[in-house]
Amino acid sequence: MIELANITKRFGPVVALSGVSLRAQGGEVLGLLGENGAGKSTLMNVLYGLVQPDEGEIKLSGEAVRVRSPRDAQRLGIGMVHQHFKLVPTLSVIDNLRLANKTCTHADVEKWLGQLRWELDLAARVEMLSVGQQQRVEILKALMAGSEKARVLVLDEPTAVLTPQETEELFAAIKTLRGAGAAVIFISHKLHEVTEVCDRITILRRGEVVFEGKCDSLSAGEMAEKMVGAKVALPRLERAGEAQGETVLGVERLSNGRLRNATLTVRRGEIVGVAGVDGNGQRELVEAIVGAAAIEAGAVTIAGETMTRASIRERMAKVAFIADDRHREATILPLSVQQNLMLKDYRDKRFSVMGWLRFGAWREHSAALMQRFDVRAAGPGEPLGRLSGGNQQKVVLARELHGNKPLVVAVNPTRGLDVGATAFVMRELLAARARGAGVLLVHSDLDELLAISDRVLVLHDGTLTASDWPACDKQAIGRLMLGLAARGAA
Amino acid sequence: MSANDSTVLSAAEFMLRQALLGATPLVLAGYGELVAQRAGVINVGIEGLMLMGCIAAYAGAVATQSAAMGVAAAIAVGVLFALLFAIVTIWCRADQIVTGTAINLLALGASTTAWGVLRNSSNNTPPPLFEPIVFGQYWLFFFTLALGVAIWVWLRFTRAGLIVQALGDAPDAANAAGVRVRLWRTLIVLGAGACAGLAGSYLSTMRGHSFQINMTAGAGFLVLALVIFGRWTLPGLVLATLLFGALEGLQAYLSALPNATAHVPHQLFEMLPYAATLIALAALTRSRSGPIYLGRSWPEER
Amino acid sequence: MKRAVLDVAAIGGAIALSIVLVAIGLRVAGYDATGVLREWAVSAGGTQADWAQVFNNACPLIFTGLAAGVAFRCGVFNIGAEGQFLLGSAALAAFATRVWPLQGAESPAYVAMALGILCAGIAGAMWAGVAGVLERWRGVPVVLSTILLNFIALLLLGILLEGPLRTGEHKDLVQSDTLTMAYWLPVGGLGTMHAGIFVAVALAVASWLVQARTAFGFELLTTGLNPVAARLAGVPVASRQLAVMLISGALAGIGGGIQLMGVEGHVLTPTSQAYGYMGIAVALLGRLHPAGIVLAAVFFGLLDRGATGVELTYQLPPEIANIVKAACVLMVLVASAYIGRRQLAVRQR
Repeated sequence: MIELANITKRFGPVVALSGVSLRAQGGEVLGLLGENGAGKSTLMNVLYGLVQPDEGEIKLSGEAVRVRSPRDAQRLGIGMVHQHFKLVPTLSVIDNLRLANKTCTHADVEKWLGQLRWELDLAARVEMLSVGQQQRVEILKALMAGSEKARVLVLDEPTAVLTPQETEELFAAIKTLRGAGAAVIFISHKLHEVTEVCDRITILRRGEVVFEGKCDSLSAGEMAEKMVGAKVALPRLERAGEAQGETVLGVERLSNGRLRNATLTVRRGEIVGVAGVDGNGQRELVEAIVGAAAIEAGAVTIAGETMTRASIRERMAKVAFIADDRHREATILPLSVQQNLMLKDYRDKRFSVMGWLRFGAWREHSAALMQRFDVRAAGPGEPLGRLSGGNQQKVVLARELHGNKPLVVAVNPTRGLDVGATAFVMRELLAARARGAGVLLVHSDLDELLAISDRVLVLHDGTLTASDWPACDKQAIGRLMLGLAARGAA
Repeated sequence: MSANDSTVLSAAEFMLRQALLGATPLVLAGYGELVAQRAGVINVGIEGLMLMGCIAAYAGAVATQSAAMGVAAAIAVGVLFALLFAIVTIWCRADQIVTGTAINLLALGASTTAWGVLRNSSNNTPPPLFEPIVFGQYWLFFFTLALGVAIWVWLRFTRAGLIVQALGDAPDAANAAGVRVRLWRTLIVLGAGACAGLAGSYLSTMRGHSFQINMTAGAGFLVLALVIFGRWTLPGLVLATLLFGALEGLQAYLSALPNATAHVPHQLFEMLPYAATLIALAALTRSRSGPIYLGRSWPEER
Repeated sequence: MKRAVLDVAAIGGAIALSIVLVAIGLRVAGYDATGVLREWAVSAGGTQADWAQVFNNACPLIFTGLAAGVAFRCGVFNIGAEGQFLLGSAALAAFATRVWPLQGAESPAYVAMALGILCAGIAGAMWAGVAGVLERWRGVPVVLSTILLNFIALLLLGILLEGPLRTGEHKDLVQSDTLTMAYWLPVGGLGTMHAGIFVAVALAVASWLVQARTAFGFELLTTGLNPVAARLAGVPVASRQLAVMLISGALAGIGGGIQLMGVEGHVLTPTSQAYGYMGIAVALLGRLHPAGIVLAAVFFGLLDRGATGVELTYQLPPEIANIVKAACVLMVLVASAYIGRRQLAVRQR
């Protein structure tokens, strides 16, 4: 019923989608599988009118259509349920639905509720509902946008926020909708869910379709392999000797938000990679280690000292932190390169004397760092916002890595960087390891992660599992990322 | 009826009359501010808008020798200044509080200057002004009553009311639902300007019969406090206004008694609305401190 | 550097445009626009006596401008300089009339003055602290609480002046005792200009030094621009913001004290000249920079002084100056939307 034909989309030099075709029939559930950066979100944004494709077209029941905005999509019967709900928390369910759709009546909603066998108090305020129930409101919103003729429902990682019980109920609802003739597109990276509820699947990797067909025509293992690719794309970089020396990071049964009972260690001279699709507990893990969040249970030890309740400032002496969101967390764009380089060191004896800043020392130090880390800028005084992404990241690396701190925590350090900058970052991480630091690398790009990690752990749904890397292959990691056991039958 | 009864009754009547006279402009301006805040826009400049309404009404009445035209002028000027506020805060996305402060300053300057120009001009015939209709109240009192009911119904029972709430609590959701967020907010702010201008006209052409420099003397800020203390609901606003008005009236009555021994400073009563609002804000849990996106521009910068 | 040039250009443009708009308004109202403007300029800075008054006008605005500026720069929206100023003057009046009056003094007593200023600063800081603490512990937005506290402060001032601080000199007047000469800021050098301006400028310089050259100032800067990154860089954001509230209140309070000791009459009355709100305008026009704030305050002083001359000649109320001030501020606000990377008014909750 709905077809995306040969969609290509470029964002500057990056090709997000290349000749991607996707087809979903009415009365069918299509699973869309892929890692971060595979292109799933971009493809759905094209479908929903948030993004215009450079090439290709969208066809509805055989006819080509133009989807220029979400309103167009809704008018055509395409409804989308995002991961972040767009509901008004202080209004009731029925009011939210009426807001989205002028003609919505109580009767219409009741009809849907009956069909889906859902219980929902229409007069209840949305903020009082559980997350699962809020999702139902979003689904209702999406359904009511459609017509009898054409109804397409896209669910973007819907089970990320649900309990197992709610997930079961969602699957039942999806099957009902399928029976009613809707085409459902189910985006996920949890393999067992996909196999349970989907009829056909499409697997994306790096902007291209690598598989398209019936769900049971592939084993789980084969699916995992398709999703992550059989061969590692990057050559294995130099391997250090056996990791010796003391433990620089000890995480013991850590629970924080979605993260449950995580345990890991990092020793001097090794790089420990944490693989996994974003949103499985990475943020919670990193926040707990760095000191940005108070944890519910467990212990964190850094360089021999218990730091479970230590402040960010206390941990800074031992931890170099390359944060995920460069612009929001790691840099202050209106400030100069120099000021950003000094963001954590300004209280050091070299750079301030009884609170008075020694700008001379700042300038010297910055110039030296800029040289050593090859930061291309007009000078230390240039506002950081003017620099390219790669150079901004170099500034972050310079600030964090020059001090030889025992633990380095790097999160998605190559996000948004070109090939050259990426290579630079990888080399610096390896250099840090060579100097004897322990590196915890949380990265969603599996190939890069595998290229430099000595050991690999996988985060899935808040649970941290060790893999046998490098004794196992990439496929095994892929399976763990999808929630399967590393080995064994599908 | 004995003599004592009639004095008590007339005292009560007097107090009620005074309370209503005092409450009318506050509630009227409060309507506009209430809806604006529900939609996410906090207009500190309401003080200035009311002040401009004062002078515009009087000057208009003098110029045209018609009180009604004066009121029309007040509304027009209120809308004009509100438009300025809307452009700067909603479209240029400057900070709402700071812009409101600037509007107050502008209004103080403009109103005082206009008053000076008016006094110097040759046109000096006193204008016709309004007289009370019944129970010592002016027509605007009844209009305010009716308007209150209308707005309450509008907010509660129409889709527009849902939109207003969405604008203040989840503008992204409103946008996703096809609502033109900035346009709606602008129109609401213009409406608030009209209300404030109208309230100002009350002060100079009805309850008062002239203009004085800085005539509003903080009434606009009082309205702010009342809206907040009333928890951003219409009945809350009306009750809060009447409550504090009644307390002040009581204080005035008590201190005028011949044997008033305990001298409670009248400022304490005047302070009540502000202090009570402060306490109410402190007592509210964080999650119920009014519209979630109050004071934030839309769309927000990253 | 480039940003500073853009800032100055924007302000210059705003001032020029405001003057043009006022001129148009005057012409429409039937006045001789060019004549008014000329009189304005001449009355503002024609003679030494004029400049003395200009600096006297600017003095309180520098204090409240600095108060607003230091707070805004750190992302703290202290709108309460108004109340903090008033209570500062009340505190000084209390000290100077009830604690250590130094009756019969013939010349300034600097120690007493200093102590008085200390009281004023503490009072201002404490009043600001109420709002700061309410935010820290109950999440009450400083923006709202400070506005409410302004009114409470004004009314408190009235209560004090009708009660404990009331003068015994004239039974009918609601005001404080006149300060003895021990508390009169020295005058001279330039006509009737009092020494308060020197204190103001000194504080501006100190403020700049702290902001630009100390670790504490650096923390304030980062907190104001990006509290998330600042926190991850180890800055105790909430503490710093509370500290800034206190400093801001102290500055405004000191301003109140100085004003009482400087202005003719040396007597405290239960009125407000809206210095606090004007200070916000000054801070904006000065782009939150101490040097800019001093210049903006002097500019406002010139406007006010000139307007008194215009009043004499053209019978236009001196409040006409406020139109120019407000127009400038509004234009700067609009301009910030387009050229501003500086966080003037983007709040992050």
